[in-house]
Amino acid sequence: MPKEQANWSPYDNNGGSCFAVAGADYCVIAADTRMSTGYNILTRDTQKSVNYKCVMASSGFQADVKALQKHLAARHLIYQHQHNKQMSCPAMAQLLSNTLYYKRFFPYYSFNVLGGLDNEGKGCVFTYDAVGSYEKVGYSSQGSGSTLIMPFLDNQLKSPSPLLLPARDAVTPLAEAEAIDLVKTVFASASERDIYTGDKLEIVVINADGIRREYMDLRKD
Amino acid sequence: MSIFEYNGSALVSMVGKNCFAIASDRRLGVQLQTIATDFQRISKIHDRVFLGLSGLATDAQTLYQRLVFRHKLYQVREERDMKPVTFANLVSALLYEKRFGPYFCQPVIAGLGDEDKPFICTMDSIGAKELAKDFVVAGTASESLYGACESMFKEDMEPEELFETVSQALLSSVDRDCLSGWGGHVYVVTPTEVKERILKGRMD
Repeated sequence: MPKEQANWSPYDNNGGSCFAVAGADYCVIAADTRMSTGYNILTRDTQKSVNYKCVMASSGFQADVKALQKHLAARHLIYQHQHNKQMSCPAMAQLLSNTLYYKRFFPYYSFNVLGGLDNEGKGCVFTYDAVGSYEKVGYSSQGSGSTLIMPFLDNQLKSPSPLLLPARDAVTPLAEAEAIDLVKTVFASASERDIYTGDKLEIVVINADGIRREYMDLRKD
Repeated sequence: MSIFEYNGSALVSMVGKNCFAIASDRRLGVQLQTIATDFQRISKIHDRVFLGLSGLATDAQTLYQRLVFRHKLYQVREERDMKPVTFANLVSALLYEKRFGPYFCQPVIAGLGDEDKPFICTMDSIGAKELAKDFVVAGTASESLYGACESMFKEDMEPEELFETVSQALLSSVDRDCLSGWGGHVYVVTPTEVKERILKGRMD
């Protein structure tokens, strides 16, 4: 007798795109604010990023994203109690990877980028898959618009190959204002062609002065 | 793997000022193995109409042969070349004839119409036309191409700038797609000349 297939899936894709780029002394993380299901929009005003000392932006299944954020917030609080300081960006990166792999056989349907400043104050961006495989890169995008955004970023930011020896720095030489302009351009283009990206863009900038947020309107169709 | 992804392809066409560019990658593969690195995806129907066919290569070749036949017949009867709009309609009709057993191709048609006005269009595998004023894309790298073209396109580019834009968009997009690449083939067509150029890109 043929095996019965489940016609209920525990996952859904709420769409959206997120993106991060690392600079010499700053990091820019951006995500759109649209949450959709199928061809419908659930809200135009959701927040996909969350900050600790570094900022994590996630796209995918927002219920899993919220659960993951809650879990990380709890672990971050425990760390602060035990070590009397906030988690650094590389530490948070490893924690996120371990948390995701813990659910290797029933994953968090969450595609993340983590951005912040490392211990020397240089920008760093970590990019993840759904089960925790991660890599430190100069820039990355995840979500429904990532296939549209990545080639253009490759062209503009030209990251050196990770196979080169001695290891070259992946952070972009662009200034902070130029990087923010690039983010805006890229999301405007993605909103044109990706139906799941749009409404508003939330840009989070981390530099020596701290963390600041700005917003930009995107296409609402 | 979908039948449209069996051979791998990338096609893009952009409109400039009284000119157009049509470009493709050069890889022909059988799933993950590369068979040829000099495959021609774009063909000249006549001096002012170019056809690019992405998708299954065998269907692309057959469709191309049928279209050349129909165009030659048209030339004999009408004693002139087909206009790009007319040619697009012909392709659409031929594809819809096979509505319930289609050719697994996605064509891109580019040409200079009346008064040297550039014309580009693409259609799906059963002939649904999509006219565009700026650019059209097709193939396995189409999503990447959408993103790259949308960011890089400007209105009314001169032929030299158009060539640069199309080339950069094509090369960055195929570098994110495993099934297309191995260089590029770009045609820039103005009312007076056709410039064909081969691009050197990542060979992987």
